[in-house]
Amino acid sequence: MDLGEQIRNKAKELIEIETVDCVIGYERATDGVGARPLFAYKPEEVDRLIFDQTCTHNLAKYLLNRKDKATAIVVKPCDSRAINLLLNESQIQRDKLFIIGVACPGITKTGLNNTSEELQAACQICQQHTPVIYDFLVGEPPASEPDIAEAYADVAAMEGQSAEERRAFWEEQFSRCIRCYACRQVCPGCYCTECFVERLDPLWVGIRIAPEENEVWNTIRAFHLAGRCIACNECERVCPVNIPLSLLNRKLEEEVRELFNFQAGMDAETPAPFATYKKEEVFPEIG
Amino acid sequence: MTQFISKKDLLSWLSQLLEDRYLVAPTKVDELTLFRQVDRVDDIVFDFDNTTLSPKEWFFPPSETLFYVERKDGGVELIPATIERETAIFGIRPCDARGMAMNDYPFLAEPADALYRQHRDKTTLVGLACLTTRPECFCTSMGSGPHDPANLDILLTEVADGYIVQVLTDKGKALLPDKLITAADVSPPPVPALSDVPSGDISEKMRRAFDDPFWDRLADRCIHCNICSYVCPTCYCFDVRDYTDKERIERVRSWESCQSPGFTRIAGGYDPRPTKGSRLRQRFAHKLLYFPEQFGALACVGCGRCVRACPVNIDIREIIQDVQQLGVKSEA
Repeated sequence: MDLGEQIRNKAKELIEIETVDCVIGYERATDGVGARPLFAYKPEEVDRLIFDQTCTHNLAKYLLNRKDKATAIVVKPCDSRAINLLLNESQIQRDKLFIIGVACPGITKTGLNNTSEELQAACQICQQHTPVIYDFLVGEPPASEPDIAEAYADVAAMEGQSAEERRAFWEEQFSRCIRCYACRQVCPGCYCTECFVERLDPLWVGIRIAPEENEVWNTIRAFHLAGRCIACNECERVCPVNIPLSLLNRKLEEEVRELFNFQAGMDAETPAPFATYKKEEVFPEIG
Repeated sequence: MTQFISKKDLLSWLSQLLEDRYLVAPTKVDELTLFRQVDRVDDIVFDFDNTTLSPKEWFFPPSETLFYVERKDGGVELIPATIERETAIFGIRPCDARGMAMNDYPFLAEPADALYRQHRDKTTLVGLACLTTRPECFCTSMGSGPHDPANLDILLTEVADGYIVQVLTDKGKALLPDKLITAADVSPPPVPALSDVPSGDISEKMRRAFDDPFWDRLADRCIHCNICSYVCPTCYCFDVRDYTDKERIERVRSWESCQSPGFTRIAGGYDPRPTKGSRLRQRFAHKLLYFPEQFGALACVGCGRCVRACPVNIDIREIIQDVQQLGVKSEA
């Protein structure tokens, strides 16, 4: 039985016995190749559910729109970390959720009308192929997670550059930003009811879509996700102008891991580093 | 007989243009194709399907200063922004030329937008006919076509060793010297075929679909970013804000989108489009109902950029078809 069929069977059961009133999963996109999110409310809609290596979207973001509603959701391992993040931050309720976890073989670079066998960059260095939280698991989890020595190779390369080189690189990248906020809208960790960029008083950043303002936006976005990014890399995938956001996210992820021995979303209980205070913590010297 | 320019003469003509005007053309930026002001012809990309962002940014930039107010002699002086230099845009596709014509309706309706008018008056459009198309292209269903010369000053169609030239306006005539053009017996390449997206009486169907739960269901999936609005050649909404310091006020406008949560929020906090479904409906109702009512044409040119860039496959082709089917069952 393929993954899609296992998901459809479970989803149909959940809808029919009214455990949940909606199953959030994936269906085929209009190009006939890729996938897109599906909200299935009726048994006949459940029939459209699929799962394959094109199912890139992190559906956990949608739970923020269904906080009080009983919902089943299909999650890959990275997406399951987003659920833990949102549980940890008291944004969603565990008893409203039925989690269909998928042991993930990695997602390909397939985009609209563009088929690719190659895994997305984040999947090539993924060390979590089994969901960290689920009620029902489909797929075969690997016997052990791979130890990937080169997970931060591009981050290390960036760190190896001079401050001037890094500034020139990021100025060029941010100059392209059109402030569509797709990176924010797709991110399960971005759920402020009023984002700092939309706040008028105090005004943190002007509306101008220009290098200076873009830099403020992109930098603060990354910092707000330090210790919270669960590495689904959806922000980078959706960026219409290809800004390499994962370089920033993973740099901060690496810092938090080294300083606090913490990885976001691995469980729902461990207090987040920036939501706790420990007397013994000493601010490291900055060289 | 057709008019012809050799590739070599085209390149030298483009180099000459650099001497007295800005030349904007498709360029490669990482893996993207973007219209950029170029300083040398070598940076121009000739082999591209279409640009990542539309050329609207050269008439309606992401951000632009409208005017300054400065202290002067104990009073204040208003200094409007002006566009001094001529610009030629090379490599505009026919769908995007139609997109510019669509934007002319709101921006040039009296009282015309002064800055937009200057951008338009100072810019000459050199189009490139499409020899290939993308799977998401549907310009022929939206009033244009891969070889459509409408709304351009010059249209070039690539053939062996050069281009078939159509000089379409006085502006185009002034830009391209006659001496570079020769008469030649060259047949134009075939017009690539595109899949059909029949829009029928979509405006009327949109009106009837106003209260349909269809929009809330579609909004389940939509993540409400602004990608579709910002890659769209015909989306023209903006916000205006003042940048102030002691000596000067600068009034700036920037792209805005009906998909932003605060877009219609007014003083006192009321928002006439408070739900995601109502905001998503607005985008399609504007393109398929309100704009046609006001100006007589659908505000979509079938460039397919929103289809390609949408992170969750909100596909306007599918919506045009689905909305026409809404209510069909209940009426039967």
